[in-house]
Order: sequence, then C-alpha cells, then structure tokens
Amino acid sequence: MKHIVVRWQRGVPVYAVPLLTPFFLYLCCMGAYSVIFSIYREVTGLGRVTGMNDIYAWGIWKTFNTMVLTGLGSGGFAIGIAAWIFYRRELHAVMRTAVLTSLVAYWSGLIALGIDVGRPWNFYQVLMPWRYNGHSPLLEVCICMPVYATFPLFLENTPPLLERWFYTWPSFRPILVNRIFPIIRATYPYVIALAYALPLLHQSSLGALMLLGGARVHTLWQTPFLPLLYVWAAGFLGFSCVIGVLMVSCLAWKRPMDMSILTILARIMAWLIVAWDGFRFLEIVARGQTAAAFAFDRFSLLFWLETLLVAVPAVYILSHRYGLKPSRLFGADVMIAVGGMLYRVDPTTFAFVARPGAVYFPSGIEAIIAVGYVCLAIAAFIVAVKYLPILPAPMSSWRNLENYAHVVHGIEMREA
Amino acid sequence: MDLTRREALEALVAKCAPVATAALALPAADAEEIEAGPKAPVGMLYDATLCIGCKACVVACAEANDLPPDVTLDGLHQAPEDLNAFTKNIIKLYKPTEQSQDSFVKLQCMHCLDPACVAACPFHSLWKNQNDGVVAWEPSRCIGCRYCEIACPYHVPKFEWERINPKIVKCELCKPRLAKGYEPACTSVCPTHAVIFGPREDLLAAGKKRIAESPDKYFENRVYGEHDAGGTQVLYLSHVPFEEIGLPTLGNAPIPARLKWQKRVYKFFAIPLLLCGILTGVMRRNWKDHEKEMREEEERTGLRPQL
Repeated sequence: MKHIVVRWQRGVPVYAVPLLTPFFLYLCCMGAYSVIFSIYREVTGLGRVTGMNDIYAWGIWKTFNTMVLTGLGSGGFAIGIAAWIFYRRELHAVMRTAVLTSLVAYWSGLIALGIDVGRPWNFYQVLMPWRYNGHSPLLEVCICMPVYATFPLFLENTPPLLERWFYTWPSFRPILVNRIFPIIRATYPYVIALAYALPLLHQSSLGALMLLGGARVHTLWQTPFLPLLYVWAAGFLGFSCVIGVLMVSCLAWKRPMDMSILTILARIMAWLIVAWDGFRFLEIVARGQTAAAFAFDRFSLLFWLETLLVAVPAVYILSHRYGLKPSRLFGADVMIAVGGMLYRVDPTTFAFVARPGAVYFPSGIEAIIAVGYVCLAIAAFIVAVKYLPILPAPMSSWRNLENYAHVVHGIEMREA
Repeated sequence: MDLTRREALEALVAKCAPVATAALALPAADAEEIEAGPKAPVGMLYDATLCIGCKACVVACAEANDLPPDVTLDGLHQAPEDLNAFTKNIIKLYKPTEQSQDSFVKLQCMHCLDPACVAACPFHSLWKNQNDGVVAWEPSRCIGCRYCEIACPYHVPKFEWERINPKIVKCELCKPRLAKGYEPACTSVCPTHAVIFGPREDLLAAGKKRIAESPDKYFENRVYGEHDAGGTQVLYLSHVPFEEIGLPTLGNAPIPARLKWQKRVYKFFAIPLLLCGILTGVMRRNWKDHEKEMREEEERTGLRPQL
C-alpha cells in the first residue's frame, strides 16, 4: 500500500461509514452545552459567566475563537490564491476541503464573537453606512468578516451541494443544468475575486486592532507591520489547518493519501513561514529591539517558542523535497499550527500587559462555550464530508461510490 | 458583452490606480490626517499639590451622575478601589514608602483632543463634541465590543459586566450640567480649588503661571496634557513623577496616529477596489483556461467535472 502512488483527482464523499459515531455524539453534546451556556450568558450578563474584567476586556472568545479560528480558517483564501491566482492547478483537488474548513471555522468564530459583544441588538447598524467609523479597524472586521462568511465563502461552498442534488434529485436536474450551472459559471470569477480580497482586508485589520493597544502589547509583537504579519500568519496557518484536516480525514476514514499534493502544500507553507519569520526578524532588528528578543524573560521565551515552532518544521519540510514521510509531515504540520496559533493569540493575551498585576483567566463556562463551538464546527465538517463530495480521493473511489450508492441508496451516479 | 465588461474592468483599474497611489503617497497626507480639534475645548486643571484628598469630588460626581454606591470592598462602605462601572471619578493616594513624598491624584476621563477610544469605536458610539470637546457615549450606537477599553491609554472607559444591558461608564464632564450653565460637579465642590474648570487655553495659561511662580516645585516644570498623546483637555500639575500617579508617558503623537496606514489603505476605498479589480482580472483569464481544461477532463474521464 505504501508504495502505490496515489493521485487525488476528485472530491468523493466519505461513504460506507455511519454518521452517528460516539465521537460525533460527543461533539454534538459539547455543542449543545455551549448553546445552553450561551443562552445562560445572554440572560445573566458577561461578568457572571466569564473571567473578563475592565483591564483584560477581551477574553478567549475574541482572542481564541475569532483571532485564531479565522486564522485557521484562512485556508480557503490562502490555498485559493495559490490555486487560482498563481494557477497551481494540482491544488484544485484540495480546494473543496479548504473552503469547507474556512466556512465552519469562520462561522464558529463569528458565533463566538456574537456572544462576546455586550450589546448585540445594536448590531443592525452594519446596514447604516452613515454611522460607520471608517477609521476603526474593528469596523472593518465586523463588516467584512460576516459579509465574507455569508456571501463569497458560502457561494464557494455551494458546488458540492448542487452536485449532490444533481445526482439525488432527478426532477431538479434540468433546472440545475439549464439555469443554475450557467449562472455559477458566469459569476464564479467575481465571487472568487471577492472571496480573496475580503479576507486579505479583514485578516490584516485583525492585526491593526492591536496597534491602538500601543505599549500594552510587548515590543516584540507591537509593530506598525502587525497587520501585514497577521494576514501573512493567517496564510500559513490556513495551509497548516488544511494539511492537518486532510491527513486526519485520510487516517480516520482510511482514505488514500496523495503525498505529492500534500508536499506541494507543505512546501508553499514552509516558504511562507521562511519569508514571514525572516521579515519579522529584520523588522525587530530594524526597530532596534534585538535586546528584547534576547532578554530571556517571559516574553522573549514566548517569542522563541513561536519562532521555533514554525521555523524548525518549515526548514525540515524544505530540506525534504522528496520522500517526506506522512508521519513526519503531520508532526511538522501540528507544530506549525500550534506556533501560528500562538502568534495569533499572543498580542491580545500573553504578550498583552494592560496593567502590571492584572490577571485574566477564562472561567469554566467561558472555556466550555469556546471549545463547544469548535466542536460544533468539527461536527458540521463531518456531516458535510459524509454527504457531499468534498474530500479528495483517487478516481477509483468515485467508481466504487457509484456502485455503493446504487446498491445502498438506489442512486444512479452516471450522467443522465 | 465580454468586451464591455473587460473595458469596464480596465476602466475601473485605470481610475483606481491613480487614486490609490494618491491616497498612499499624498505629500500633504500627514497634515490632512490630523483631525480638526474642537472649536472651544473646555477642561479641568488638577493640581496635586493643592489636593487634600477629601474625596468631596468623588461623592459629588456619584450624586450628579446618579451612580450607585460601590460597596465591593467590604459590602458596607462606598469605597471604590479604582475607576469602575460605579465610579467615574476617583481620588487615590500615592505613597510608595514611609519616607517618600506622597501625593493624591484625581483620575477621570482626560477628554483627549484626539481620543483613542473615539478612533477605535466602530459606530461612533463614543464621540467627541466638536464644540466643547467633551467625549461622550451614545447608548443607541454601542455594540459592547469593549475596544475602547483596549485602546484608552488611561484605562478610563468601564463596562458594566454584571448587567445584561451593559453600558460604558465614563466621565462625560457632567454634560447635562454644562448644558445648564453649571460647571462639573467635581470642580464645583472642591474646597481647595485643587481642580478647577474652564476653557482649556485659560487652564493651560494658569498652569504655566503657577509653574513660573514657583520654579522646581512641579515635576519637570510642565503641565501634563499640554502635548501628551496629542494633548488632553484635563491637565495635571504634580510634584511627583506623572508616571507614578497613573499618568503614563505616551509621547506627543495622538494615539490614533498609529492607524495612519490603516487610514491610507482605506481612503476612498481605493486600494480595496484596486485589489478586487486585479484579482478579478487575473481570475477571468485563469477561469477561461480552467473551463477548457475541465471540458478536456470531462471528455477523457466521462465524469462531470467538479468545481
């Protein structure tokens, strides 16, 4: 098995596996807990439920669920830019997985953001542009992010669903073929352009948020280039998330792994990291903060932890052009994901000292809500890949699926 | 149709590019970016050497603003430890060691000339009156994001954590009293005139006069807030270092100036539009190739191509 060359050619649903597994039920339970606790938060106020205070006014719902999850969910645009704009055709095989991880991650983050804001009923003002403060990075985030998740990202995810309907809903097929598919073909380039422009804008604005924090953000993180570093980190974090999701899915559902595509993804990610880390070092030296990096206090150790977690695996990936072992790649990918997540979370938490002595630690309910919505995102992903042709597989799996679907569901997969 | 769309696109890019360049590289951009300040800023001058720490101003503030007593310390006495959701104005004692010189300090909103909280607030819920320069909070616009708390260098805006309809609590310079022609509650009750109210210019002149009359009495012989963080409307004189009594060293640039590049990038929405235009142009070209390849694949495999 190991020596057979696998090529991912086509999105194929995960078939012949039951949906209701113990793990899936566990995810649903965690999701249910977080929904119940969210309702509890809405009726009791933030102070009773969370560990936030006036000094640390932003808790994990913003620093983790929004900053980190949308970073992890950046695969849709990061890999998309490589596949569509720089025209790496081979990456089209993983695009459906990438946009699906983006969709679930973004919505999970946005729900947490909706629970985090204290006066959500005033949010209708997003429809009133004359009330916008165009200079606020947070305005950019809270307009751009829901717009992206609702329109371009959602539209990017419709082809697998329509494809399922094409096969399972014969009476709908003429409308699909004659009306809907031509519209998609005509509008797709514009949707894609928007789907890459918007994340570039709001992922950089997420970094710009902390510019106003000034000296509260430690000097190793606080730089005028924070927006650039943030969107860049979102780029490689998105790659690492999609690589991880693909590998875990292949292991969990015993699907063949295409190491050639994974290596391409890993190498692009590694180059992004090398450039990112290089720029970050140069920037720190240029600002004259080299001493802070070698102070070996809490912050400098955190900085080196981040740097090593992303740089060491990146160098490892780049030095193994051929024959990268799946286990090694997975280990490297997890390290990069952890390092990237740490970078995204640090300017608002570990490297954010608003007042000496003040502390923030998330409460139990706060943490359950944060984790619960991540579980819901994973559950949504599992449902989607089991019903829709999303995860990439060799052409032979599709042929097998044809027979399987015909036997089990009586669905004719061949062309009408 | 194809041609006109392409033309439209090219026209868009052609129109956007100069605007974008102009927005980024306008020579006069810096001068333009400094917002015109309020016409007749009013404020307060607090002299730490005159304050006797009687806290009459704290009580008067609570009364004038209808604030409930803050009894979190012992459940019995109105004894706020810091500015919080019940306290818009506070007197603190600074006394680091037994021997050292001590000082009281009064803390409340500084009403910056170019406030960080106003720059941060996404829907202008925190807004600066362009006449008297008071920074106030408008409940119908606030979404409760608490970005103001992250941005304010003085830790002034406070959030009502315990309520399901939380408000942002901060000194609004007794806005309703000013409208009626009274001065703020805190300055009106101060027995030693340690804190006085007036137009910012007059207060600044008064502060400088005091420094001139007694040289080396005041720290650094300067008025805190004249230039700090772009200038504030509440000014301070102190005999101990400003940093020690909770007035951070922030430099003379206004905090919102840190968003200079953010402002330039989003000016007239030119650069985002240009980005969209470029991406659309590249996509339209690549899309054609992609459709061709998909057709070839369909012929080769006999399966519907996947998008």
